Amino acid sequence: MNAPATELVERRAMARERLRTQGVPHRRIEEWKYSDLKSVLGEAGLGAVVAEWLVPNRPSGIEMFDLAQKNPPQWVTAHFARTGAAGNVMGAASLALSAGGIAFRVPKGVVIADPLKLDFTGAGHVRGLLVLEDGASLTLVERAAAADFRNVGLEIVLGESASLEHVRVSPADETSVLVEEVFLRLGKGAAYRGHYAAFGSRLSRLELEIALEGEGAEAHLSGVAVLDGKRHSDVTTRIVHAVGATASTQLFKHVAAGQARAVYQGKVTVAKGANGSDSNQGARALLLGEAAEADLKPELEIFADDVKCAHGAAVGDLDADSLFYLRARGIPEAEARGLLLQAFLEDAVAEIANADQRELVRAALLSALKELA
Amino acid sequence: MLEIKNLHVAADGKEILKGLTLSIRAGEVHAIMGPNGSGKSTLSYVLAGRDGYEITEGGILYNGEDLAALAPEERAARGVFLAMQYPVEIPGVTTMTFLKTALNAQRRQRGEADLDAVGVLKLVRAKAKALNVSEEMLKRALNVGFSGGEKKRLEILQMALFEPKLAILDETDSGLDIDALRLVAEGVNALRTPERAMLVITHYQRLLDYIVPDRIHVLAGGRIVAEGGKELALELEARGYEHIVGKAA
Repeated sequence: MNAPATELVERRAMARERLRTQGVPHRRIEEWKYSDLKSVLGEAGLGAVVAEWLVPNRPSGIEMFDLAQKNPPQWVTAHFARTGAAGNVMGAASLALSAGGIAFRVPKGVVIADPLKLDFTGAGHVRGLLVLEDGASLTLVERAAAADFRNVGLEIVLGESASLEHVRVSPADETSVLVEEVFLRLGKGAAYRGHYAAFGSRLSRLELEIALEGEGAEAHLSGVAVLDGKRHSDVTTRIVHAVGATASTQLFKHVAAGQARAVYQGKVTVAKGANGSDSNQGARALLLGEAAEADLKPELEIFADDVKCAHGAAVGDLDADSLFYLRARGIPEAEARGLLLQAFLEDAVAEIANADQRELVRAALLSALKELA
Repeated sequence: MLEIKNLHVAADGKEILKGLTLSIRAGEVHAIMGPNGSGKSTLSYVLAGRDGYEITEGGILYNGEDLAALAPEERAARGVFLAMQYPVEIPGVTTMTFLKTALNAQRRQRGEADLDAVGVLKLVRAKAKALNVSEEMLKRALNVGFSGGEKKRLEILQMALFEPKLAILDETDSGLDIDALRLVAEGVNALRTPERAMLVITHYQRLLDYIVPDRIHVLAGGRIVAEGGKELALELEARGYEHIVGKAA
């Protein structure tokens, strides 16, 4: 059971090899069409610096291990570098190019009420691991601090009936290049609720690779983006319903003004035999201005029977009837627009179960909307 | 209060109102009746300031001010209210939040201080009961999932709340059963005051059984083709628009 530490060395070596053969992703690779990492990084390339992390709040009951340390505990060797290693080149990069990172464990049956707060900081590559053992429950609050270029690989393992709410906020910033891959594995009856609020940076890419491996596992993703200037935000999701009776929902709402670009690419695969699975994907964007852009690309691949899958995407402008209605009631145009934009984002924000975090995201959206031209 | 003179209005390059003249004084209730396509809704939108309607000739004075020069929100703050035929649904904004935002936006434009949440709630509650608007409705998203009657009751609740000087009711009776119609009409009648003018736009005479107007104007082909007292509605009901419109032409 307990993989020896040498196995970690092997996994890193494999990642290095993949990185060497595939190189930095660029726009001619379909999945990176809207986020040309190679041209943004230029000659500096991926570098080999190790990024850092901060833990502003670690509630008691959560075990922590610094991945740069020797002799990792069994729960680290069992899970670290296991997921996402096969397909994702940036995941391989974070593994190959960082020696360190941070790992957390919530032991079996432990329910943590207070959120675990984790910020990845600085430039370079870094890894994270979060293991929730059977029946454990946690809220993870993650904030992506600015950096010239940072690449984070975060693995999350949810044991049987474990439950995680993940709230990630990526603040507005014109210059950062931020890439993060989140790899999730969900056991039987496990539930993941992820919420991503993005305000955009020079290039911002969040990838979610989710494997629903146990019957009854559920993943519910929602995201909002408010982008202005030349800011960019890309959310790319890949969800695999590996077994039956699993469920996934996705609701992404983006507002882009100026020359900003909002990207959503979502692929749901229902594997052979994963009968009775439900999946729903929705992405909508409002474009404020001629030069703003939204690229929404939901995809479905179904190899099973008796599945309920739906997907949709729409790009538009604010509804003229609604705007007139509000103005005819005395609400000035700018305020009416703000109210409608808030309303547009609201159902995605309402998905955040943690009341404090929901209010924080709402307030951040409100101030970002106020700054829109 | 309202002076419409020789009003010509075009939408999408097509002339819809073709020389409409009408004047309403404070305290009066006027009705505009007319067949479909006569320009009734265009008139209501032009008065409220909706985009897409161009005044090509004539004009509208509201308390001596050129109404067309004002933005919709400025008109609202000066006391113009349009109860809409199709109130819009806005998911994501609760009815109560909307009422508070609108009320305070109007107050702010008039240089009055904002009311706090408690103040607004008190005011809304006091008016909501008579219109059978429940607390639960106020907590729901604006007009979302409301029945036709609920939407119209909410329009009248807004009218009661904003206390307009000029209220325009556009097909307020459409989609209402007789009980809902009576409730809405009672709400409107309760707001008849010597200071307030009303313009009731309707296709059917039915509403005017409950909201009895001082004067009725028949709109057809973008012009007023007949005028009279409340008895004109009965004649229209009995003999149809064709009769009157045909006679005028």
